[in-house]
Amino acid sequence: MDTATTTCGATATPKDYSSALKPIWCPGCGDYGVLQALYRALAAIGRPPHEIAFISGIGCSSRIPGYTTAYGFNSVHGRALPIAQGVKLANPDLQVIVAGGDGDGFSIGGGHVAHAVRRNLDLTYLVMDNQVYGLTKGQLSPTSPKGLATVTSPLGSLEEPINPLLYTLAYGAGFVAQGTPAEMPGLTALIEQAIRYPGFAFVNIQSPCVTFGQEEQQMRAHKAHLRPLASLGHDPSDQLRALDLARSYGKELHTGVLYRNPNPPPTYDALVRERQRALAPEAKDRSRLLDVFLQK
Amino acid sequence: MVVDLVLGMAGSGGDGVVSAGESLLAAVSSHGYHAMMTKSFGPQIRGGESSCRVRVGTVPVHNPGGALDAAVALNWEDFLKFGAELELAPTTVLIHEAKAGPPPEALVRRGAMPTEVVAVPITELTNQSAGTEKAKTSVVLGLLCGWFGVPEDGVRRGLEKKFAKKGEGLLETNERALKAGIEHALANPLRSTKRLAPPPTHSPKLLCDGNDLCATAALFAGCKFFGGYPITPSTEVMQTLAKEIWKYGGTVLQAEDEIAGIGAALGASFAGLKSMTATSGPGMALKTEIMGLASIAELPLVILDVQRGGPATGLPTKSEQADLFQAAFSAHGDVLRPVLAPISVGDTFRVTVEAFNLAEHYQTPVIILSDQEVAQRKETVEPIDTSRFTIEERLAPSASDLVDYRRFRHTESGVSPISHPGLAGGSYLGAGIEHNEKGDPTASGAEHARMNEKRFKKLEPLQHRRDLFDVLGPSDAPFALISWGSSAGVAREAFELARAKGLAVKLLIPRLLYPIAVPVYREFLASVEAGLVVELSHQGQLHKILRMQLDLPAGLRSFCHSGATPFRPDQVLAELEALAAVGVK
Ligand SMILES: Cc1ncc(C[n+]2csc(CCOP(=O)(O)OP(=O)(O)O)c2C)c(N)n1
Ligand code: SF4
Ligand SMILES: [Mg+2]
Repeated sequence: MDTATTTCGATATPKDYSSALKPIWCPGCGDYGVLQALYRALAAIGRPPHEIAFISGIGCSSRIPGYTTAYGFNSVHGRALPIAQGVKLANPDLQVIVAGGDGDGFSIGGGHVAHAVRRNLDLTYLVMDNQVYGLTKGQLSPTSPKGLATVTSPLGSLEEPINPLLYTLAYGAGFVAQGTPAEMPGLTALIEQAIRYPGFAFVNIQSPCVTFGQEEQQMRAHKAHLRPLASLGHDPSDQLRALDLARSYGKELHTGVLYRNPNPPPTYDALVRERQRALAPEAKDRSRLLDVFLQK
Repeated sequence: MVVDLVLGMAGSGGDGVVSAGESLLAAVSSHGYHAMMTKSFGPQIRGGESSCRVRVGTVPVHNPGGALDAAVALNWEDFLKFGAELELAPTTVLIHEAKAGPPPEALVRRGAMPTEVVAVPITELTNQSAGTEKAKTSVVLGLLCGWFGVPEDGVRRGLEKKFAKKGEGLLETNERALKAGIEHALANPLRSTKRLAPPPTHSPKLLCDGNDLCATAALFAGCKFFGGYPITPSTEVMQTLAKEIWKYGGTVLQAEDEIAGIGAALGASFAGLKSMTATSGPGMALKTEIMGLASIAELPLVILDVQRGGPATGLPTKSEQADLFQAAFSAHGDVLRPVLAPISVGDTFRVTVEAFNLAEHYQTPVIILSDQEVAQRKETVEPIDTSRFTIEERLAPSASDLVDYRRFRHTESGVSPISHPGLAGGSYLGAGIEHNEKGDPTASGAEHARMNEKRFKKLEPLQHRRDLFDVLGPSDAPFALISWGSSAGVAREAFELARAKGLAVKLLIPRLLYPIAVPVYREFLASVEAGLVVELSHQGQLHKILRMQLDLPAGLRSFCHSGATPFRPDQVLAELEALAAVGVK
């Protein structure tokens, strides 16, 4: 980064990022673990909280910015990504993090994901994927497994779930990872790497909903079925292999970095800055702006 | 000699009728005339029939005018397609391509046939003088110079500008065609004498459309971010900014849809920048939820709605003033947001700057309700003295504000100092959820009531912004005209005509449409017994809103019709006279 940004460096602790607001999540909700992992990752990176903009949509998971000391924006359902892009373009020096649920990101906000990926701003997108609508009390979500009976699919759902990993990889995301709070050090490291990745970085976090989630989506099941990608000898620069592995979303719990572009292209925000710099000399004095219309 | 001349022409896409209209406009405006041009096309994206009308005056022109003084038909088939745009009267001089034959039955049947119909061998003259049919419109321009006193050297200079880059040959061809047109006119004088009087002064003018001025005003006001999605008739604002804004350290984001466009714009505002989005009716519908977010999060944002005929796709290239309800009321929850409307091309500059000022000052979304006509007609504008404008910035927190910072602190004015990411000590949670003074979420009804009160209180001063209204005429007049947006220019002329006839009438033109400035209307209406609220919509939306919020005089009624064809001044005058004839009881 070319402009002066301060860091708390070695002095930052997870506590520095924790606000006075007490989470209202259900006891045992996976989002608590995500929040802890985020505090640790932020401390490891060390940017002062006021230089972080943390944007979310609506959902249980989207409450998360309020529990940090960053500038937060708990916006409306499904629109965190567009808002975050505006924030980043307005001030590329900010560290911009986006968070929300599976419904927020892949149902109502699903149309924005492809465009956030293709623009490739330097953003980190954390989805707390609990395969259900938590906040509205247990309806079918776009990542719910086919056949799931919920209050809105009492006879079992008829549609296939979306595959967030395959989706983002296929759109061309430069960083795609999956983690779970059932494995905290790994999740912390993933969030940290995602934030450090210079471009759009997506982390799908399997974050259990203890209230409306299924048995096999809970911490205990996560712990039992964890398949760390490292243990499979996966090379995160291998995009084709990543696509192949992503196909088992919903069947296997792969954790770790699926794909990391070894040669990240320049980000959109960097290109914007470049263009602004190049064209700044052409700026006219404010009082001369109307001259182009003058008829002589 | 006439002080006001309305010219219209129609042809097929390849004839270059609109381009000729532009040359005409440039010629007269460079001579100090006031002028405006509106154009109309068939539904085809390229080619197809096209028409334009140019109104020229020695005094300011406020609207495209009524029936034409002179009409040019390059062929009848295309001319007939523009019945409403190119209205004829017995006084019109109708000039047509000789080889097209006399006016067809279909035209004669419409009635109001011109008494002077002139056949000109336009194609033949072009071929003879220029050696190509392509310069047809230059012959037409020559005819207009010769017969109506359109300044010849202005047209010549216009041709020079237009063809300079396209090679010597083309310029010469067109100059020869122009000369042939002039000579033909001089050799065949008209019966009617409608020669344009010389311009009063030779003062230079701006020539542009409303979208041009909106984009320029945004830059002038310090807008640094535009997020939007293309939609007719607003897109030119985005297109202009996409060329220019980078020079001023800003960005244009062409978003994936209107929701993302306003979302990004709101994000940029949250991050501290002046920011805007632009759209038309269908896009406004999509932006509504985030406008609500901007209201509760108290973030400045300018939203331009260039109205077109609706609902849904409606009449995408035609003007209508039927988005007022949407602008004022489309909100969930109790929301008050300022709605401003420009009344002319030139006015768009002032209104846009005002919109940014209100947005920043009151930390609120502000809607500019323009319409297709104001946005896309080209018009001469008196040079704008930009040093008269003040530019407002949002209220920054002081050092003491930042000690235990409360973003939504209750203040006397209702406006609280606003921080932005990057500012140490100012961190807060912006939210769509109701919040307390700090910004922390709350579900308390009492807290919600206090915040609603704050968000309404801060906009109360708008009630007294008399400068956002034009009031003309004697204060004790019993008759009144009220009109807004592009219709206001028509009402203005009808008002002047009525005054000249001795009618005791006054005129109110609001630029602030919402909230309704009750004291301003009360004062204006105090003497009024009867009048018209003139607007281009089926329902007469401003009239309905006024009825909702004021006790209107019984005789003040709506004069409205669906969009596409603007009102004509004589229509409004006739309606007003009819009203006056019934008398004041
Ligand atoms: C426009 C709109 N539609 C619907 C809702 C209701 N709503 C709020 S959150 C939500 C779904 C939440 O699910 P998810 O995004 O997966 O988040 P979670 O609560 O599971 O973390 C819905 C449907 C809303 N707030 N706004
Ligand atoms: S409903 Fe589910 S997602 Fe929401 S807080 Fe409770 S456990 Fe977490
Ligand atoms: Mg969910």
